[in-house]
Amino acid sequence: MALRAGYLPGINANDVEWQTLTYDRDGQAIEVSVPLLSDEQMKGLSGRIKEASRQHLKSMAVSDITATIDATIARLLDRNDTYRQQAEEYLPLITGYDAEMVRLGLTGYLKTFRQSELRRFVAEDFVNPKILDEFQPLPKGGYGRAYGPDLLAHIWAGNVPGLPLWSLISGLLVKAGNIGKVPSTEPLMASWFAHIIAEIDPKLGQCLAVVWWKGGDVDREQALLNQADLVMAYGNNDTLHQIRDRTPITTRCLTYSHKVSFGMVSKAALDTGKAWEVAHQAAYDIVRYDQQGCYSPHLFFVEQGGAVTPQEFAQYIANELDCFEEKFPRRSLTIEEASGVAAWRQSEEMKSFFAENNAVMGDANDAWSVAYSEAEEDLAPSGLNRTAKVISVKQLDDVPARIAPYKAFLQTVGIAAAPEELQRLAGMLGAVGVTRISALEHMTAPEAGWHHDGRFNLLDLVTMTEVERSAETAAEAFSDYVD
Amino acid sequence: MNFDGKIVLVTGSSRGIGAAIAKAFAGEGATVIVNYVQNVDAADEVVAACKEAGGDATAIQADVTSGEQIQALVDQTLMDFAKIDIVVNNAFKPYTFDPDNRKQFWDLEWQDYQDQLDGALFSTYTMCQAVLPALKKRTQGSIINMASDLVARPTIPYHDYTTAKSALIGFSRNLAMELGPLGIRVNCVAPGLVYPTDASRKTKERVKEMIVAQTPMRRIASPEDITGPVMFLASDWSRFMTGQTLYVDGGLVMK
Repeated sequence: MALRAGYLPGINANDVEWQTLTYDRDGQAIEVSVPLLSDEQMKGLSGRIKEASRQHLKSMAVSDITATIDATIARLLDRNDTYRQQAEEYLPLITGYDAEMVRLGLTGYLKTFRQSELRRFVAEDFVNPKILDEFQPLPKGGYGRAYGPDLLAHIWAGNVPGLPLWSLISGLLVKAGNIGKVPSTEPLMASWFAHIIAEIDPKLGQCLAVVWWKGGDVDREQALLNQADLVMAYGNNDTLHQIRDRTPITTRCLTYSHKVSFGMVSKAALDTGKAWEVAHQAAYDIVRYDQQGCYSPHLFFVEQGGAVTPQEFAQYIANELDCFEEKFPRRSLTIEEASGVAAWRQSEEMKSFFAENNAVMGDANDAWSVAYSEAEEDLAPSGLNRTAKVISVKQLDDVPARIAPYKAFLQTVGIAAAPEELQRLAGMLGAVGVTRISALEHMTAPEAGWHHDGRFNLLDLVTMTEVERSAETAAEAFSDYVD
Repeated sequence: MNFDGKIVLVTGSSRGIGAAIAKAFAGEGATVIVNYVQNVDAADEVVAACKEAGGDATAIQADVTSGEQIQALVDQTLMDFAKIDIVVNNAFKPYTFDPDNRKQFWDLEWQDYQDQLDGALFSTYTMCQAVLPALKKRTQGSIINMASDLVARPTIPYHDYTTAKSALIGFSRNLAMELGPLGIRVNCVAPGLVYPTDASRKTKERVKEMIVAQTPMRRIASPEDITGPVMFLASDWSRFMTGQTLYVDGGLVMK
């Protein structure tokens, strides 16, 4: 069966230039056709999406939109549904991730988009969600209504299955028309989502599209940027810089760049009963999607003074990574990825020659590696793909000052600590720029309605129209019942 | 370990643990009889994998709950290869290990037990009867029966399944007593939860995590983990062991 990515309402598939992407990570080659639109087609598509968004989406109640998204997600959760079955079959082949990891990951992730969670998602950003449906009284006086853009352009990146759904669903919740550009690394999930939406509510299906172009194809990108009312882009700083530079000055551009996340383990969590469990959780965060997410941990600051030493804790993590290799084997790496790992290992091994207690655990041909250090090291990303560093520290309270210089790169911190410590550390970490604190084992699964990079997912997308008190008062003077 | 020239019969080896055992023996040079009931494609794949691994293999269809079909399986094997060195009784009556939807004791009927006894015990009994003349003739051979660590520790009480496997261990000890003087050894391998297999696919993460947390080796077994102890019991390295049960569950059960 030929797999086809993309979703193009109003365009006849025969009129589109299709390109073929070939994936061959483990000798099981698979092909996916992706649509490449002409400038003219992109313009036509944008126009139709804007029109449909104005005509249909803007008049839908948020509760109706959440109901449709919920029904869509229900199908993607249903293991008897053909889309779900395709996802379980093909996403592992395309991304290289272990099939079990994808299956469990999809379920865990999609669960966060059920109706009750979506309502929480909206309530998180809007005290009164009805403000998305109609004018609502404002505390300061007058009335206000929040409008989503007619056309929200998404430029996605990365290969974590399903990640584009976050921003696509955010767009729908604020009643934006959406065109999303999928990355070549995982073009399918967003496409399937759009197809199911259209099957459930054909009119809503007219309000979103999924397109593709090869990363770096400036002309196609420009065609979409020119049409969008708002742009959301993901990727590395260079890519984002270019996108922002080419976005018309009157169009807002929201960017999400690469981040570094890490873990912190208090001596309170390092008694002989709990230490293994904590190491198990830490290892899970490392293993999940092979550290390809912005929330994946690269290193762990582990406090001295517990019954289990930081070094022993590192050994526990190493053994857990070895066990996880049986359960969720690492995907086979590309040459670039493998050399990234090798370079990291080499530099860590070099360091261990000069510091007595530093060590690198795991063989060069193991699918994981843990470095241990007692030196005062700077925050640095790991070699990715199941490489992590454990840094022994006298006390966790010293860590925030050490990471402060990296403010622009910080995102999630997974913490295992007692309640008072958690409170104290949260205050210190927030002050130096950390935007999310979670338990270990939950680092890679943000809860519904989280604020990605500390921003307001929905609020950032809307503009407010306010009817000031003066307009109301003035109108009174012109009423036909005026005395 | 070298199984060059050895004829190994593995029942139920088109998938799961049986397939892993077949491939492992082939990897050490053995000729493997890949027995299956329904899935001829899967059996052919195992045969191909065995050949690729450096051994030889042939697939033979037979339902081990039928005495006639077992006899035919053994007859054909002897006709093709003239002898049998090792028998691994691995097939069992299809059973779904679903902790959330298992039958409670008061939901079970005797027929459930009977089915499992037929699958585990009758099939092994019949296979042993059928193969014994050939083994006795050469006064050598190793029989390995696949049990379960649930016998020693019913983490989830799958009554019918586990009772049948318990009976299989008792059966094996008696047979070991009987066949020891004839130079034929009988042992059991008792795996813990093995994932993924078709039978265990419905076992939820929660249960797996619970077992992992109590297992010293801190993980669930894969089919490949089971092959080493089976081959050990098949080889001369265990030539002075009979009537034993090896638990292969990362230390969950210690006996």
